[in-house]
Amino acid sequence: MTTPATAVDATRVSTYCYQCVAGPDLLTVRVEDGVALAVEPNFCATPIHPGAGRVCVKAYGLVQKTYNPHRILAPMKRTNRKKGRDQEPGFVPISWDEAFDTIAAKLNAIRATGVLDASGYPKVAASFGGGGTPQSYMGTFPAFLAAWGPVDMGFGSGQGVKCYHSEHLYGELWHRAFTVSPDTPSCRYVISLGSNTEASGGVVGVKRHADARVRGMRRVQIEPHLSVTGACSAEWVPIRPKTDAAFLYALIHVLLHEQPRERLDLAFLAQRTASPYLVGTNGYYLRDAATRKPLIWDRQRNAAVTYDTADAEPALEGSFAVTALEIGPDDVTLAEGELRGETSFSKLAAHMADYTPEWAAAICDVPASTIRRVAEEFLAQAAIGETVEIDAERLPFRPVAITLGKTVNNGWGGYECCWARTVAVALVGALEVPGGTLGTTVRLNRPMSDRIGSVKPGVDGFMDYPFNPTDSKHWSPRPNIRNAYRTLVPIAANGPWSQALGPTHLAWMFLDGTPEGLPEVTFPEIWFLYRTNPAISFWDTAALADKMARFPFIVAFAYTRDESNHMADILLPECTDLEGLQLIRIGGTKYVEQFWDQEGFALRQPVVEARGETRDFTDIATELARRTGLLEPYNAAINRGAAGISLKTERYDFSLATAIPHSRDEIWDAVCRAASAEVTDGTASDGLDWYKTQGFRTRPFGRINWYLYPALARQGLRFELPYQERLFRIGQQLGRRLHEHGMTWWDNQLAEYQALPAWKDFPGLWEKALVKMGGKPEDFPFWLVTARSMQYAWGGNAGIQLVQEVAANIAGHGGVIINAGAAARLGIADGDLLEIRTPQRATRGRAVLRHGIRPDTLLMVGQFEHWATPFARDLGVPSMNALVPLSLDLTDATGSGADLVRVGVMRVGRSP
Amino acid sequence: MTHWVMVADLRRCVGCQTCTAACKHANATPPGVQWRRVLDMESGDYPDVRRAFVPVGCMHCDEPPCMTVCPSTATRKREDGIVTIDYDLCIGCGYCIVACPYQARHRTDRASFAYGGRPSEPEAKRFDERRLGVATKCTFCVERVDDGIARGLTPGIDPDATPACVNSCIAGALHFGDIDDPHSNVSVLLAENRHFRMHEELGTGPRTYYLWD
Repeated sequence: MTTPATAVDATRVSTYCYQCVAGPDLLTVRVEDGVALAVEPNFCATPIHPGAGRVCVKAYGLVQKTYNPHRILAPMKRTNRKKGRDQEPGFVPISWDEAFDTIAAKLNAIRATGVLDASGYPKVAASFGGGGTPQSYMGTFPAFLAAWGPVDMGFGSGQGVKCYHSEHLYGELWHRAFTVSPDTPSCRYVISLGSNTEASGGVVGVKRHADARVRGMRRVQIEPHLSVTGACSAEWVPIRPKTDAAFLYALIHVLLHEQPRERLDLAFLAQRTASPYLVGTNGYYLRDAATRKPLIWDRQRNAAVTYDTADAEPALEGSFAVTALEIGPDDVTLAEGELRGETSFSKLAAHMADYTPEWAAAICDVPASTIRRVAEEFLAQAAIGETVEIDAERLPFRPVAITLGKTVNNGWGGYECCWARTVAVALVGALEVPGGTLGTTVRLNRPMSDRIGSVKPGVDGFMDYPFNPTDSKHWSPRPNIRNAYRTLVPIAANGPWSQALGPTHLAWMFLDGTPEGLPEVTFPEIWFLYRTNPAISFWDTAALADKMARFPFIVAFAYTRDESNHMADILLPECTDLEGLQLIRIGGTKYVEQFWDQEGFALRQPVVEARGETRDFTDIATELARRTGLLEPYNAAINRGAAGISLKTERYDFSLATAIPHSRDEIWDAVCRAASAEVTDGTASDGLDWYKTQGFRTRPFGRINWYLYPALARQGLRFELPYQERLFRIGQQLGRRLHEHGMTWWDNQLAEYQALPAWKDFPGLWEKALVKMGGKPEDFPFWLVTARSMQYAWGGNAGIQLVQEVAANIAGHGGVIINAGAAARLGIADGDLLEIRTPQRATRGRAVLRHGIRPDTLLMVGQFEHWATPFARDLGVPSMNALVPLSLDLTDATGSGADLVRVGVMRVGRSP
Repeated sequence: MTHWVMVADLRRCVGCQTCTAACKHANATPPGVQWRRVLDMESGDYPDVRRAFVPVGCMHCDEPPCMTVCPSTATRKREDGIVTIDYDLCIGCGYCIVACPYQARHRTDRASFAYGGRPSEPEAKRFDERRLGVATKCTFCVERVDDGIARGLTPGIDPDATPACVNSCIAGALHFGDIDDPHSNVSVLLAENRHFRMHEELGTGPRTYYLWD
């Protein structure tokens, strides 16, 4: 007899799903006789959750995930000392004691000889999945890592390179925008260049945009293929891959050169941006000799004054003779005395003069009339002059936004796209105001849990930013980790997230040859892996797997066997999503479209008993700390906040005794009590039992905190736009430092540091890479791109049957999408087996014929081509990751690349 | 009278298949059987192409062709419009599967599970032998509706009385309610928006309405 999942005698257990960055979703699981039956929304969360308590499709895979017969349910060790894709690891079960003994012996041996190797790199490395989501599942493991000391977390699995990378870094610099979103609830017009919100925006993004569509918000989707987001947009504009910057430059051209100046938000530009700052002939701000502050031209006084002169009436345009200093790299005075300076805005206008829609049309393969119309619609919808009251404060209302997708905002051209997007919205005053273009969260600036609080005064009237130093005294040619982010990428900063936001493919590349000037890149002695599978998710996956096989000792927290833990020495089975326990922060503003009116905490709790011998991650971390003699610093790290909240403040003290090990529930009870105290301003101290029954606890989060504008205005700060004097200076200094140490291999990247970035032939870079690989462009006529799948993105769930079944309803999951007309010309029919190849690599998949894709473009959804993961390895789905090379030539100045490659296609089999 | 209908707002649907998955959870359908799913449809030629996502399932027709052809009277229609299948009467002839213009009916002859021949604990717990060799389809979560009404709840409003697909819909695209109540959620939606029904020309009187621009 079928048991309806709604049976009243079943129990609903609340928990959360944070499998992707668009989470967390709050959900309930129906449990009967200790067996999880069904996932359901958590309607108790409807009043506080912007997605009305509903839960993403990925979460419905969690029941199968729990009971998957392919799970690793006991610790295992490798018995075949040889490693490689062609080697059967020979994993055999062992006791937890033996597993801990083996790992602790390695760790203790390292501590006995020093935690850094001869090159100065950490002997211990750890890699986690993208977007920081594994942190919501790894309990107190961060406390163990903190107690350990230096750990190399820069061996990427895609993050830092295949993410929204330029947006992460430049976004945080310009408007505390690790990711960028429209203010969807009130936005009226969105230009989306490949931003795939309906696939990667999560429950909240989907809900907000559905509401907006019905309300009448118009979204123009500009991308090479008609994605699910394009399907839900008012208009699809098929653009040639990697030419998005040209589209945006032409849009700015229209705003600056084809519209009356008064139609722009001149007040915003004058007061809240650096548009009036005067720039000297060497490209640096002209500064007051006494204070060294940048100068502006005051129309009232008819004289130059410092930018912070309260009653000044800044000239937005013009060239002026002023008494000033021009200070260049390394604090050298380039000029002083009577100097001529042009406003940043005037320089911008001149810079954009030649980027007409007609110019862009030839590059983008988009009619000039379309570009011009979109620009004019954007301007018309900007509502310049309107205001709105938010939390009793009157703010500008500018309901237009520009969003950028993956591959648009990373790799070469990412800087130009992010800069042009941010400048375009600033021209109409739509940056960080209601209705406009907003940042969502911070990961490089502090504090990470308070985006508005991260707005602090820095140099020249801008927000502070934690650049890595490039001055000769502080810059170092000796990186702290192997991907050298601190040495090469000043804007990556040096916080907890910086390692994974550096050029994470360089760590892999340099294993086979360290470039001149860097200490020899070594293999880590121990590598921890959790919720990540770089042998599938990164590029040149065959070569990457070969490198992994040379790692001397790998500890993988393993759910099932997969392509990366195929190389592991020890597999540790941890409680999965419905078995483990952890409290996390929810609400406020977070990734993608997560804008809440509440903030607080939610609990993930054991919905069912842990299966087999799996253990909770917190208990694993505690035992590792105990066996390595690190209990004291481990507990101290938890007390400081490594589990998400400090256990001791002036208002409360739930800190743990540091000398003894604590059970999972003891630790999280203390965390829950601290969370209760924080949310209630100290009036409550409810612990774990309370959260187990209630699920979450929140307090109001003022909507004024969605917008950065008020914080800047309060502090008299300006957005660092449009002229990038600071980046230009940093680039010059970085070049000097590198050259002083014989490092010329980063010179192409140094060219990206332009104060006003020019268009470059970005598609041509990939064509050159093809030629370098030994191919002729005419033999490889297609651009291969990828797109996120809501069913799979970030989930590591390719081995879940339910997910595969429902995803198959969406075109492309089973193969490679090709334009129907292009396919007909090549004699390719739907379902034919294709080989897609570069001069070096090939992958195979079934043809999926569609009309919603450019004839010169192929699309592979998601990341597949598994060869070890049970179930997934039998799907026969291709992956572009097998084809994309790891390449310094295709690495931009932020250390990022892009999911893009030129390929040829050949039919190798008929449709079955 | 009460007549239950489904309303799918095509302006909202993003094809995420959350409803598909939620239905499979709620009704424990075997692999490959989807009582609710979302079609990914494309029309036009490059570059003038439109793509739309269309939730489909049993339309609980006014004049169900599946009922007309059923030789065993297993398929019936309740007074509230819900089309039911009595598994004890169904002989699995499959006429209804062929007759249904919405491809909403399924028949599985052998037990199948997510990972091969052996059921997981939840699958074992929820396995229903009576569903083998008979026609199955969307029930509008009739047990949930009936149970909810018995507890004084309102289908389409209270989650515990509402079909699982509607509860799960993250875009707010799916709605369920009583079309005979002019003030119900579905009646208001239909009054305020343009709508159509699928294959209405066939005279089946489908009780799923699609809102569109």
